[in-house]
Amino acid sequence: MGTAVLLADGPRLSWVELPSVRAEGSTSLGPAPVAAAQRYLALAGGELPPGVLSALRELPPTTSLTSSDPRWLASLSRGTGRPVRLASLEELRSARALVARRGPPDDRAFLLAVARLGLERALASPEEVLVSLAREEERLERALGREERAADAFVAVEGTLLAEYAPAWAEARGSLAHHHAHLVSLLERAAHEVVPNLAILVGERVAGRMVAAAGGVAPLARMSASRIQLLGSRRRPSPERGPRYGVIFRAVRMNDLPVARRGEYARSLAALAAIAARADATTRSDLSGLLVARRDRRVEALRRRGR
Amino acid sequence: MRPPRTFRPTPDSPRLLQVRSADRVELWTETVGTEPSVYGERWAYSGSRSFRSFEPARSKLSAGLVRDWRGPVPSEGERWLYLGAASGTTASHVADLVGPAGRVFALERSLRPFHRLLELALRWPSLDPVLGDAREPRAYSGLVPPVDGVYADIAQADQVEIVLANAALFLRGPGGALVMALKTASMGRDASAPQHVRRAEEMLAPSVDLEPSVRLDPFHRGHYLVGGRARGALFEEPAGPRPTPRRARSPERSRL
Repeated sequence: MGTAVLLADGPRLSWVELPSVRAEGSTSLGPAPVAAAQRYLALAGGELPPGVLSALRELPPTTSLTSSDPRWLASLSRGTGRPVRLASLEELRSARALVARRGPPDDRAFLLAVARLGLERALASPEEVLVSLAREEERLERALGREERAADAFVAVEGTLLAEYAPAWAEARGSLAHHHAHLVSLLERAAHEVVPNLAILVGERVAGRMVAAAGGVAPLARMSASRIQLLGSRRRPSPERGPRYGVIFRAVRMNDLPVARRGEYARSLAALAAIAARADATTRSDLSGLLVARRDRRVEALRRRGR
Repeated sequence: MRPPRTFRPTPDSPRLLQVRSADRVELWTETVGTEPSVYGERWAYSGSRSFRSFEPARSKLSAGLVRDWRGPVPSEGERWLYLGAASGTTASHVADLVGPAGRVFALERSLRPFHRLLELALRWPSLDPVLGDAREPRAYSGLVPPVDGVYADIAQADQVEIVLANAALFLRGPGGALVMALKTASMGRDASAPQHVRRAEEMLAPSVDLEPSVRLDPFHRGHYLVGGRARGALFEEPAGPRPTPRRARSPERSRL
């Protein structure tokens, strides 16, 4: 009446039978660190090595099979045709101690490969690409604005070295602006891919910043409209009054409204943005026509009320 | 020219050193890494050994040591699990303290700080980066062997529960070290900082032999260093279900 525990142990996948170690085994995920790291990351997706599955199938039927990782349960049960449960803390600790007694393999290269590969895969997801682009765009926009404002205040006096400096600087600003425009076009593509409804409703750049500030599309979809309205706000305008907007202040059609009506628009738009983000995170259905119609109706109503 | 520094080992560890100057005492660690400096800390050399200043204003562990933390400190040859390593400011010093024979498994969830941690680990032989979420210890249990100590700096509402779950799975057994930098501001505004520390101590007390907690103000406002040595009770399955984390993460966000 033993219990077999399947667990990963550096670049190996091992199983031990408890309490007395009647059966145990171990499959190397590969001698090369990068290949082993690829196989290790595939385990989480349910790709268990066939050798392990067939060895576990051979265990006596009285032995109950347990897994250290909840993500392996389904594929382990399918692959062995046996009921599988999650190993208890005590079972997992005993199994880990037994495996560790075999001596730690020199797995630093493996760990670094898992880290590198895991990071690259996570950053390659469309969502994280959008977050990276949105952060870059925000930083670049700030730099560009700073340069333009400085240029406005700069006087290139003829006949001095300043006159020689000014055109070189203007050229650098031009190339920075060109670089920014290119970045924005990439950001727009990414936003339409990841959050199509939100991108159309509030604009691609604001949609990207919202996703970046929320930390992803799913966290954004879980947020209340009031939270979305204040996403990215940094400080209270005064001790008595809270902030009214964060990144939503830069949303499309905000500039069509008098200043006094912008807070109301931010509130209404945040409510629509919450719906858009939820559609983008879950059903992926196209609500943009509906949402844009609601948004524009609200803008017209606010405009009629004036300042 | 300034007089040369004299590095004196502290009772805590031969790799943790004190430098006394006229007006104050500085902490330094003997490093296993190579320059450039990680976060702007100063470097010094003496013979074949190299040292980095361990700034209390930057690192909660250093602030705790300055405030006479009496609990466990990472020492030479040990293996530690570091939860919430971020870009490696303190984690690099913990890796210094365990020395070339020890290992520090530095866990971080955020991708961009983790990239910096990974680059740092390439020139820090005892630092091993692990990408993962401390709320799901089983997801990285294959990468982290049993360890001598757990250090945590994770600033979550349920930080104590998270640390206990990790310590129960990863510590080698009773007597293993548990040190956490407790951020009281993350635990809600319904209680004052000392009340939060008392609550945390009550949660830890059944399974940890606690040392007196140390307040880290003014270096880190509202932070405390809390911890001690694990008792056997830490490793027993709780009778009821473990308290559910207050902010469970949805499965679609888990990255590994």
